[in-house]
Amino acid sequence: MTAIGSNTPAWRGRTTPGSKYLSLARTTLQQAIAYRITTFFNVGLTFIWVIILYYLWRAAYSGRASIAGLSWDQMRTYVVIAYGINALVGWRTGTAMMAAIRTGDVVFEMVRPLNYCTTQLARALGFTVVEGGISMIFTLVIGLVFLHIQAPATVASALLFVLALIIGFLTKVLVVFLVSLLTFWTLNGMGLMWSQQAIMQILSGTIVPLALMPGWLQFIAKVLPLRGIVSTPLEFYLGKSGGWDAVGLIGLQAIWLVALWIVANLAWKRAFRVVEIQGG
Amino acid sequence: MVRLLRIFFRLQLVQLRSALEYRADFWIAAVGAILQQLVSIVFLLTFFGHVTSLGGWSLWQILVLQGLVMAADGIREMFADGVWKLRADVNDGSFDRVLVRPIPPALQQFTALASIHGIGNTSLGLVVLVLGLARSDVGWTWWSVPVLVLTILCGTVLTASISFLTNMIAFWEPSAQSAFPTLVALMRDFAKFPLDVYGAGIRIVITVILPYGLISYYPSRLVLGVGDSPGWWATTPLIAAGASALAASIVWRRGLNHYQGVGN
Repeated sequence: MTAIGSNTPAWRGRTTPGSKYLSLARTTLQQAIAYRITTFFNVGLTFIWVIILYYLWRAAYSGRASIAGLSWDQMRTYVVIAYGINALVGWRTGTAMMAAIRTGDVVFEMVRPLNYCTTQLARALGFTVVEGGISMIFTLVIGLVFLHIQAPATVASALLFVLALIIGFLTKVLVVFLVSLLTFWTLNGMGLMWSQQAIMQILSGTIVPLALMPGWLQFIAKVLPLRGIVSTPLEFYLGKSGGWDAVGLIGLQAIWLVALWIVANLAWKRAFRVVEIQGG
Repeated sequence: MVRLLRIFFRLQLVQLRSALEYRADFWIAAVGAILQQLVSIVFLLTFFGHVTSLGGWSLWQILVLQGLVMAADGIREMFADGVWKLRADVNDGSFDRVLVRPIPPALQQFTALASIHGIGNTSLGLVVLVLGLARSDVGWTWWSVPVLVLTILCGTVLTASISFLTNMIAFWEPSAQSAFPTLVALMRDFAKFPLDVYGAGIRIVITVILPYGLISYYPSRLVLGVGDSPGWWATTPLIAAGASALAASIVWRRGLNHYQGVGN
């Protein structure tokens, strides 16, 4: 063992596949830190709706104890945490993927001996450390100082919340990834991002809890994977489901995650072929 | 003035032609923009499934507020979206080109981008507005329609001026990445609901500092007859449009003087 060898432990670590992805995540994290002010505003603007929703619900709850089984305390908690979770995988993750495709940088991703989907997950993780960190600050400051949100119902529900949150995070990255693949066929990334954001806000239960939605919309939202991103973690947080209910919800999240993973890999291969056609 | 208007529309037409080369893009953008607006409508419909009124306003009356804001912003998007290119133009130096042409720079900036997809938001806004009015049991008078039209047009001027102002940050703070202008533009969502529900701080901001309320809440109260509203509220859209346009033109002049190009 030479002195040089012992000075570069990080370098040796990169030879295993797992830490290749980790170093990708680290690189993205550094990029994200460079844009922290922008990220701050990007997260901040999603919280405009937290303020609006707070006041609207406050008016609705005046003289009422509960709406669709949710108390005023629970609704407030729901609104703040829903937007906090929704900001975890934010604007930059999606636009970065799209930009790579539009500028042609995606070629570099293709020649790397790595799984492209995992690469994107790793990058998203890097962004999330910053976006999620800032979003956490917003959530905690607004939630604890101004809106006095509740703590998780029980220790078990807190643990379930974290588990569902992690699966939800992976789900959202894959959905954003699938949407960004569409930029292989169209130039308009903005329109795609707007649509994705809007549908996500409705069907994940960010704008309004699933339990309050009109029947037909509730049915659609309950079947689709997007509920796993915001609604499912929050149901655990508020202690609205436990026991077999919880198993079912986590199971649904997991099934969707696997399905999305398979679809994402297939879609990526399709998209890959399109690139070849354009280049040939 | 007529000449300027002709140039304005001529430039818009040129942008429009280039935009129409990508038809699929137009549809994607239009659908995306409409979906974004639908979020607040879906929320409202769900919300009113559980309550009957919000601060004394019915669902349909609130749809009037939503429609006014959406239509104004849609028209702004169609005719003045170029201001959103200002930051990028100042950054890469292509703003120099604007300065050497014998046409007012502001006019060129407004027409730097044709966001024809704004027609999506405009139509949705008008549909929502008409639906809301039809079900709101409005006591129609001779000034109702003129006030509504005036409100939409002044709303266009206000939202355009505010976007213009916030994007002028590029002259002083040349990082093209800032999300600050988007943040300010999104504050218009506050004006999609009756201001009565908010706390005093927000009400003051949305009335005085970013007067989005003057192009939705105040004229709507007058037209819809919600509560007591003095007749002069009919002129609040004019105040908002005039003041914001004045502020934009003053800051624009200072910005132009401050601009030094990117040079190297």
